[in-house]
Amino acid sequence: MAEPSAPGRSFDQEALPHLDTLYRVALRLTADPTLAEDLVQDTMLKAYRSWRQYQPGTNARGWLLTILRNTFINDYRRRKHEPVAMDLEAVEPHALYRSLQETDPEGTFFSQIVDAKVLEAIDALPTEFREVLALSDIEGMPYGEIAEALKIPVGTVKSRLFRARRQLQTKLYAHAVEMGYIKPRETAP
Amino acid sequence: MSRLDCEQALAHLQDYLKQELTPELVAEVRVHLEECRDCTGYARFEESFVLMLEIRAGRETCPKELRARIMAALRAEARGS
Repeated sequence: MAEPSAPGRSFDQEALPHLDTLYRVALRLTADPTLAEDLVQDTMLKAYRSWRQYQPGTNARGWLLTILRNTFINDYRRRKHEPVAMDLEAVEPHALYRSLQETDPEGTFFSQIVDAKVLEAIDALPTEFREVLALSDIEGMPYGEIAEALKIPVGTVKSRLFRARRQLQTKLYAHAVEMGYIKPRETAP
Repeated sequence: MSRLDCEQALAHLQDYLKQELTPELVAEVRVHLEECRDCTGYARFEESFVLMLEIRAGRETCPKELRARIMAALRAEARGS
């Protein structure tokens, strides 16, 4: 086995390219730019101090995200009120689409919602959903890498992603109705 | 190759759009989507939703000041302070 690498040049090369990803994920986890900055800095310092535990050639992004996530759960989460999951177990995958099929099958109402509202809706998801959604749909990471970073089974990643998307769509739809971007459906799903 | 009904196709749709299905299942879902306007419409809806999320939330980059602060903190750490 190769000697564990010393911090320095290799840390810069392997870890620094992921700063944008870490920052975006931190923004979604903390829902607060100042906290997000602190979280990223804490993460990078912790990573630097434990760089000897990193196996060269493995996935540095996943390794850093695990540190970021653990730091958030241990040091940041309790500062904020934790949102509750909606009970969506009974909702079929395309319930919302069904009710839009006639009026807005392409979901164009999404584009009328301002960025801030979309981000606010994401940030109001429970942490477990928000982190999976951020890694999958915002960072484009595959299931396997997300499962590895969050230390959860791939099946859990899939079901959380599914529920996160449904919950977010429901919220954005309600917002669009409220703003008059779209006519409310006649019957509840 | 087995033929999927709507329920089976929808059960695979999330994985299909994330390109996480085996080639066999990809082919089966594709055949169903070619024949079913309903499911194709829903697949498009999901695709544009995910794209919307990526566009809205994926553009932010690490601020320059934060990057500089982190670099300084790492250098200080390296000097053993």
